[in-house]
Amino acid sequence: MYGWIWRHLPGNAWVRALISIVLVLAVVYALFQYVFPWAEPLLPFNDVTVDGQ
Amino acid sequence: MGGVRLVVRTFSELCLTVGTLIVLFVVYVLYWTGVQAESASAGQIDTLQREWAAAPVAPPPPRPSSGPPASSPAPKAPAYTPGKGIAVMYVPRLGKDWKWPVLEGTGPGVLKKGLGHYAATARLGATGNFSVAGHRRTYGDPFKDFPRLRAGDAVVLTDGTTWFTYRIDRGPYRTVPTDVGVVAPVPKKSGFDGPGRYLTLTTCEPEWGSSHRLIVWAHLDGTQPVTDGRPQALDS
Repeated sequence: MYGWIWRHLPGNAWVRALISIVLVLAVVYALFQYVFPWAEPLLPFNDVTVDGQ
Repeated sequence: MGGVRLVVRTFSELCLTVGTLIVLFVVYVLYWTGVQAESASAGQIDTLQREWAAAPVAPPPPRPSSGPPASSPAPKAPAYTPGKGIAVMYVPRLGKDWKWPVLEGTGPGVLKKGLGHYAATARLGATGNFSVAGHRRTYGDPFKDFPRLRAGDAVVLTDGTTWFTYRIDRGPYRTVPTDVGVVAPVPKKSGFDGPGRYLTLTTCEPEWGSSHRLIVWAHLDGTQPVTDGRPQALDS
């Protein structure tokens, strides 16, 4: 999987490494910005009220 | 042979990926939500203090000591705006620097920024039960030390014109999430036997779960205008 991505990145090893780092950062950003805020309310830590549900 | 290698390698990479995802998610829940809540709650307190500084004239503070408490549900008091800050809470037992904004409503979005006031309950300082929910864990852990609360502890709130000092009447009471009677105007099982100016705090129990709730009840012990300075309870 990662080998496939590596082989399909352009440029020499240094350019590929740089692109890889940017890709990783982009994925982490997307996770923290969109995916985790969506997933976190599914955990029980938000249930702090009495509401009869 | 090559096919097996590919399968094993891909499977290993997937496991590594899932592991990394879990670690990142734990970092998000334990650390990042706290960072966000810290800046959000500080922003809410800033907004409140700016509004209070800009307010023209302070209305006269309510006097719970004069007259029977049952006679004063002020009908013209405007409803709180959902999602907006209404007060700042201080609980010396939870820390000398412990202060959190109280916002109107108890939705998940509100509780990310501070404590939430049950919209159906009384206004701050009014007759009835001013009820507030807060996270025990994540989003800054405001009620992490909730079980340490004891009878006699002060819960101090200010709405910009008045300091309200509530006193807790008994240690945390454990109940189930459906027990809405705990935020009733005269909460059942609280020991209060008539209408009064009460406060209820709720959070989750156990610390990392949601099967139960922890409750403390308090009564209004005294008020003073902010112009008279901070109440003594904050410095004791």
